[in-house]
Parts: sequence; C-alpha cells; structure tokens
Amino acid sequence: MSEAKSAAPAIAVEGLWQVFGSNARAVLNEVRVAGGMRETASKLIDKGLIPAVREASFEVASGELFVIMGLSGSGKSTLIRCISRLIDPTSGAVRIDGEDILTAKDARMIELRRHKLGMVFQHFGLFPHMTVSDNVGFPLKMQGAGKAERRKRALEVINLVGLEGREDAYPRELSGGQRQRVGIARSLAVNPDIWFLDEPFSALDPLIRRQLQDEFLNIQATLKKSIVFITHDIAEALKLADRIAIMRDGEIVQIGTPTQIVLNPVDDYVREFARDIPKGRHMTLGEVMEPMGEAALAGDWPELRTGMSLEDALTRCAASFEAVPVHDGDGKVVGMVRPENFVKALGGETS
Amino acid sequence: MTLTRGSLAALVTLIIGAICLMLEPSFDWVVKWPAAWTLPITQWLGDGVGTVLQVLKPGTRLIAAGLQTVLDVAGAALAGMPWPLLLGGTTALGWYLGGLRLAALGFLGLGYVLISGYWIESMATLSLVLVSVPMAALAGLAIGILAYEVPRIKNGVQAVLDIMQTIPTFAYLTPLLVLFSFGPVVGLIASAIYAAPPMARNVLLGLERVDSDIREAAIMSGGKRWQQLFLVELPAATSQVMVGVNQCIMAALSMVIIAAVIGGFGDIGWEVLLTMRKAWFGPALIAGTVIVMFAVVMDRMSFALSQPRRSHSSRVLMVIGLLTLISAAVVALAYPDPSRISLLGGISDAMNSALTDVNVSYGASLDSVKNTAMFYGLLPMKIGLDNAVLPFTWGFEWTSSHTVWYFATVIGIGALLAWRGHVTGGLVAVIVAGMLETGIAELPWPFVLVGAAAIGWVPGGWKLARLPLIWLTVILLSGLWDKSLQSLYLSGAAILACGLLGGLLGLWGALSVNAWRVLQPICDMLQTIPLFVFLIPVIMFFQIGDFSAFLAICMYAIAPMIRYTRHGLTTTPDEMIEAAVSSGANTRQILTEVRIPYAVPSILLGLNQTILYAFAMLVIAALVGTTELGQLIYQSLTKNDVGLGLASGGAMLILALVADRLVQGFAEERRKALGL
Repeated sequence: MSEAKSAAPAIAVEGLWQVFGSNARAVLNEVRVAGGMRETASKLIDKGLIPAVREASFEVASGELFVIMGLSGSGKSTLIRCISRLIDPTSGAVRIDGEDILTAKDARMIELRRHKLGMVFQHFGLFPHMTVSDNVGFPLKMQGAGKAERRKRALEVINLVGLEGREDAYPRELSGGQRQRVGIARSLAVNPDIWFLDEPFSALDPLIRRQLQDEFLNIQATLKKSIVFITHDIAEALKLADRIAIMRDGEIVQIGTPTQIVLNPVDDYVREFARDIPKGRHMTLGEVMEPMGEAALAGDWPELRTGMSLEDALTRCAASFEAVPVHDGDGKVVGMVRPENFVKALGGETS
Repeated sequence: MTLTRGSLAALVTLIIGAICLMLEPSFDWVVKWPAAWTLPITQWLGDGVGTVLQVLKPGTRLIAAGLQTVLDVAGAALAGMPWPLLLGGTTALGWYLGGLRLAALGFLGLGYVLISGYWIESMATLSLVLVSVPMAALAGLAIGILAYEVPRIKNGVQAVLDIMQTIPTFAYLTPLLVLFSFGPVVGLIASAIYAAPPMARNVLLGLERVDSDIREAAIMSGGKRWQQLFLVELPAATSQVMVGVNQCIMAALSMVIIAAVIGGFGDIGWEVLLTMRKAWFGPALIAGTVIVMFAVVMDRMSFALSQPRRSHSSRVLMVIGLLTLISAAVVALAYPDPSRISLLGGISDAMNSALTDVNVSYGASLDSVKNTAMFYGLLPMKIGLDNAVLPFTWGFEWTSSHTVWYFATVIGIGALLAWRGHVTGGLVAVIVAGMLETGIAELPWPFVLVGAAAIGWVPGGWKLARLPLIWLTVILLSGLWDKSLQSLYLSGAAILACGLLGGLLGLWGALSVNAWRVLQPICDMLQTIPLFVFLIPVIMFFQIGDFSAFLAICMYAIAPMIRYTRHGLTTTPDEMIEAAVSSGANTRQILTEVRIPYAVPSILLGLNQTILYAFAMLVIAALVGTTELGQLIYQSLTKNDVGLGLASGGAMLILALVADRLVQGFAEERRKALGL
C-alpha cells in the first residue's frame, strides 16, 4: 500500500473534461465519441455548450515544476481550478498521491486543503481586513492552530519571501510585488506538498516579475514542491519549467521539456510561440552534436560539455579565433573585433 | 418611405388617439370605464386579507405585546437618563467615527434638540429607531446572505425587495394596524419592513462583489463554508454592508416619522403634524428642524462607518467622557426635566407671528404665483385646455372652433417636422398637443393602454409592450382608473418639472465646479430629510391643494435628476474628450456631440429614480389634500379599510413599476447601443 502510493505521481490527471452549460454531464456522456476528442467537442459546441477543457491528461512527478502555458481563453485557468477542485470537472479523474479527489467528500477536501495543497492567485486574493501576518496565518487558523503558533510560523514564511518587518501592514499598504509575496507566503504556510500557482506574476511589472521568478526558483530549489504553474508568457514558461504543457482552445496540444518545445514544436501554433525565443539559450549541445565513437580528435579544443547551452558553447568556440581588423569608409583600420564579441552581442546576456 | 420603430409606435398611438377623440362624443365608455365592467377587487382583497389577518391576529398581538415591552424599556431608558449622557455620548461617538467635524455635528445637533423643547418627544422617536434598526438590519443581513447562498431564489428575493420598497408606505400601515392593534408597535414594524430591503440589497451586492480570488483563497485555505462566509467574505464586503446600514437607518427614521400619522405615541412626527394642522408654523418649523437634525446626525455618522477609518486620539475621547459624566451628575440634581429647557419658546412665537405677517403682507403675491401655476400649467394638464380655458382666467371661453384651429395648427407643425425629416418628432408633437387639449385625468383608456404599450415596444419589443397592457388593465378592472389618472397627472407634472429643471441644474453642475459646490450640499440635504418635513414649507406658504402637493413632490424628486445628469456628464472617459479635441471640436460641440450622448443612460437612470421618488412622495403629499390614489390610501388608514388601502396601494405600485420598467427599457437599450 505505502509502496504503491510512493510510486504514484504527485498529480495525475486523466481524461479531464470541463463543459459549461446546462446539463453538461448528461450531454457529454450522450455525445462522447471514444478517442474522438475533437469530434466530441464540436458536437458539444453544436449543442450550445462550452467545452473549456477537453480531455486533458498529464502527470506531475513529485518535486517537478510543471507549467501550463496558453493564451487567454485557452482553458488553462479552468484546468487548474479543476485540479484544485475549486470547480467540479464534468468528467475524468484527478489523483493526488494516488487519491481520486473528484470523488472525495467535502470534509476530505477541506482536510486536504488544510494540509496538503497551497494556491497562489493572479490578483493575489489577499483578505483586505487582515494584516500580512493574519493573512499568512489564515490557513493555520483553519487547521485550528493557536495564535502564538500561527504568528511564529507566519513570521517564518514571511521571512522566507523577504517581507520581514511588514508583517503588521495591511494589504492596501503594500506594492503589487509585495502583495504577491504575501500570497506566496500564505500558500506555503501549512507547508503543502502540492503547490498551485495561477499566473502569479502576470499582474506585476516586468522588472518585479523577473525578480520574483528568480526568488521563486530559489525557494523551489530548497523546498522541492510538486508544482502546477499557469502562465501566458512563453519566456516565463521556458525559464521556470521542468516540463511544459501548451494549451489551445481547451486542448493540450503538446507536453514536453523546454528544449522539446523549442526544437520540435508539434504544429504551427506551438512554432509561433517558439519563434521569437533565442533558441541558442534553450538548446543544449547534446541535442545538436553528431554522435561519434571513442576516437579522440587531435588538437587544442575549448572544453565543451553536452549540458552547455548553444550560446555558451559558441562563445567558447569563437574565443579560439584571432581578432579581425575593422576599416572605416576610407579603408583605414579603426578597430578590431573578436568573433566571440559577435556571439556575446547577439546572444544578449551570456555568462 | 420606411418608418423607424419609434415613428411606427407613435403613428399607431396617434391613430388610436384620434379614433378615441372621434368616438368620445357618442360613446361615453371610451373615457369613463363603466362601473358595470369592474370587478370588486377591493372587496375581495379586503375580505381575503382580512380573513388571513384574523387568523394571524392572536399570534401577532402576542408579538406586539413583547415588542411593546422592549420599546417601553428603551423609551424609559432614553427619557429617564440625564440628557448630558446622550449629548456627551453622541459627541464622543462622533469623535470616534470622524474626529472634530462629526463630534461638533453630534454636539450641535443634539444641543439643538435639547433647546428646542422637544427632548421628550424626540426620545420617543429615537427609541423607535433604536429598536427598529437592529431588527431591520438583522433581517436584511439574513435575507441578503440567504439570497447569496441560494442562487435559485435570488431573482425572486430581489423582486420582493423591489415591491417592498416601491409599495406606498401608508398602504401596509392598515393591515399592520389590524395585526398589531393601535400603537407605536405598528410604527416599529412598518419601519423595520421598510428599512430591511436596502440592507438586504447592499449585503447581497457586497457579497457578490467580493473578488473571486479572495473567495477562492478562502476555499484553498481549507475553510468550511461558514468560515469562508463569516471570516472572509462578509468582512471583505464590510464597506458595502455599512452603506446598507446607513440606508437602513435613514429608511427606518423616515418611516418612523411617517408612521406618526397613526398618532398616539407622543413622538416628534406627531408634534409636527399637530402643529401643522393648527397652522402654528413657528413650532412646526422648530419641530421639523429637530427631525432634520436627527436625520443629518444619523446619516453622517453611519456614513462614516462605510469609509476607511482613521483613528482619533483616545485622550480626547476620555475627556469628553469625563465631562459628560460630571455634567450628567450635576444636571441630574439641578435640572431633572429636560422638557423645561425650552430656550426656543420665545423664538417660536416670534417666528409664528412673523410668518403670519409674511403670509398677510405677501399673501396676494403668493396667491398669484399659485394661481398662475394652477391656471396656466397644472389645470390644463389635469383637465385639458378644453375645460381649463375659462373667461375668468384666460379671458375667453374654449369653443369647438378653438379645438378645430388648435388641431389644424398642431397637425401643420407636426407635418412640417415630418417633412424636415423628424417623422417621430412630428408625430409625438401632435400626440402631446392632443393630450394637453384633453387633459391627463380625462384621457381615454384605450389611448393610455396603447400608448404605454407602444412606448414599451420601442426598446423592448412585445415583451415590454405586454407588461403595461396587462397591469393597466388590472387597474381598469379594479375601478380605480379615475384616481390612477389623477395620480398620473400629479406625478407626471412633477416629473416633467423635475426632469427639465433637474436636467438643467445637473448640466450647470457639470459645467461649473462652483455651481456643483452649491448644488451638492442641497442635493445631499434633500435626500437626507425625511419626506414628511417637505410638507412644512409648502403648506406654510401655499396652503393645501394640488400646487402644494406638486411643490413638495418636486422638492423631493429633483435631487436624483440633478445628481445623475451631472454624474453622466462628468464621467465621459478622458480619451473620448481628447479624441474630440484633437478632431477640432469646440467646447459646445464636445458637449452636444460627445458628453451628452454618452451621458444618456445615466440621465435616464436619474429620471427613473425621479419617477420612483415622485410616486413615494405622492402618498405623503396626500396629507396636504390631493384627490388621487394617495388620498384613497390615506383615507383607508383613517377608515381602517384594509381592502381599499391594499387595492389603491397596489394601483400605485403598478403605476410606479410600469413607469420604472419603461424607462429602464430605454436606458438598457441606450447602454447596449453604447456598448457599456
């Protein structure tokens, strides 16, 4: 029993449908075509229903950071609300550590939320009438924890997100970035295993956003939660994800590592997303090299490793070339350029 | 030529009107709905409701006895406590809620009540408010939460709230009299019934407006449903709930004052009514001002609850408390009877004689103002030019040849308008002129039915056309048609005046910041004062009659028109104005081409509010002697006739709701057209 549980993925979603409209469940059962997701969806639309999530299936391994990426209206927010059971899916299964939560009783859901699940919201969802530390301590209050204990644990997580000193402020006194830090702290207060983040950084300025992304990665490096992270920003997805699911019109069109998404987009839709991404930063040398036996190539080569990004590798290769002179309009030499300067300039921020 | 929806509706109305005019001389029933065609609805209502009331009576009498005890205790406590306690307590509360400004308001307001000599009567009123507000607020809270938690019943609950707020307040006093017997408890229950809906509405609104992220965060924190509701959603909705408390308190006060017409609880409303009947305008004004003081203090203090609060020094609070206690002790020993602190007694007499002097010396000019308005405005609207134009007022007698010339001219103007491209305008001009010739109170019923349906059909199709048809037919069948038309005339005249004057004032307030600085406090005041008080000045100068009723209605109903017009005109998005400026529009063009069209939905909403206000005031205005439905309702109260009260209250409710839906229909259509 305990072995079967530990072998189960942290989150498993199977054949999940969320259909909006009257009598959705009955209609879905009636028109469902086995294996024909698109056909089923078009029949539902014909009947005036809205299939917001269409037969979504994926698994999130323990400690994995799984990003769901899609444009607005693609169904990604609906999907995360199905997995956290903020809304009841029309059909399918969601298992958390092997336990089907769609059939779980309300009392069991409250139990799970008090101990195992944490969620961060796009517009923060802070309680306006509570201080920062009361907001963070709220899930503990629901557990029945005492005042002193709540305060102690709240201060711990408030420090973790870098808000020490603001614990007695009210949400209205905080900036957007600070508010979301509170939201993150609150979702971590009960030390959940599963962490849902619904576009947590979308409402923030670009600079603050990057800062919070970096801190989020640091937190995750130490805490190792199993994460479902929603975003509409492909750059954010590629930066954060272990694996990415791309959604369009309620359908998951591709699941893969950032490299797979960039290198092998399944269709033009995904390719469009990947187009503006500097590929050299997301592809590694191992993925483009030609295999070879044990034979050694003679010479004094820069040290390349399979895990290096193409940008890094190119910089190192280019470093072994001589500098080239640059002339002005009259043919006079005015400067010189090393090939590695090109790579650095074009690649943007390489180390 | 193709007709627009509007011109088609106007054409049909015009044809029906013309046919009615032609049939009128030979067929009496076109104008007067024959008594033989009515159903004894009043009788049925009286018998049916009467039976139900008799069944409920033993239970409700028990409740009445219980409430009476609560009321007695509250009254004895308030009247028995040394007056500095209340004065100091109010000042301290004012300081706590809003610092120096509200503390001063509380002190001056209650101070005025004290020196007015009406302290004891005021405490009777205050004890009614103190008991009815918690009842109404709790009931409203429960209803609001219930409607929020059970979405299935939400629409039904909202419809009932609409009706509870629109049905004339006097109409349910009669059944309450039967249930709870004569006494202050009736006023208490009536004010609780009247004050609960605004509370319920605001609670529901506040809960619905809680950010979905906040709601979901409460769920994800593992809260049970009651924890989500009481620890997160209600607190997050606090400021809207407090708006509800504010409206609840004001409604309760207003109704407590109105319920004084039943008489017999020695409160301040009764004092005003009594002095007014005796034409003692000095005391009436002073007592009326006491009501206004109560209203202003309660309104501003409870409004402060809905605003973000800054904390004010608790040291000052303690000083106020100490002073209060000391003076309470002194006063309790030295001046035990607050009713003898009547510093305004002399002033009251002086005012009385001064007012009498004014009325004597300016009586002629006041009368001529009144007569001009009556003879050249109100009377023609009521009974038509054909009856109102008489030798001793207009200088000549209206004959059938006048009618022919009148219609020939009007049709000519209409045709000219149509020829210039304003087909609907031309048709409407002819219809309005026809109505003026006939008089609203003597309009043929088929014309009113078809006209109302046509107005509804323009924005809302058959669905909105059906509504007035069905409900106006109910009034026809009830036999209350004549009185209803009289109500329509009186409220219509007031609404027309409020619409024009209020619209212009709103425009002025939108164009000039200084103008708004003057208008805003006036509007605030007009909307704070309990309806009843409006009667004092009008009756003082113009005695009883239609003109006084008209003025009282106008005073109360004009505020929303001013407010909404200005609001609509000043909230044009900056981008739209900038786009107009960069297109080269001048100030006048920006106003007529951009701001006014954009403001139309808001202006229509203002008109809608004005209509509802006018109908609410119509019943109160019956106290100054009108001849319409309001008068019937008032009479039913004195005759203890449940059926008559409910039937005429129902007829007024129908008129108000039909007008409300028709205007809402147009507002909705404009909003859709503007994509708002």
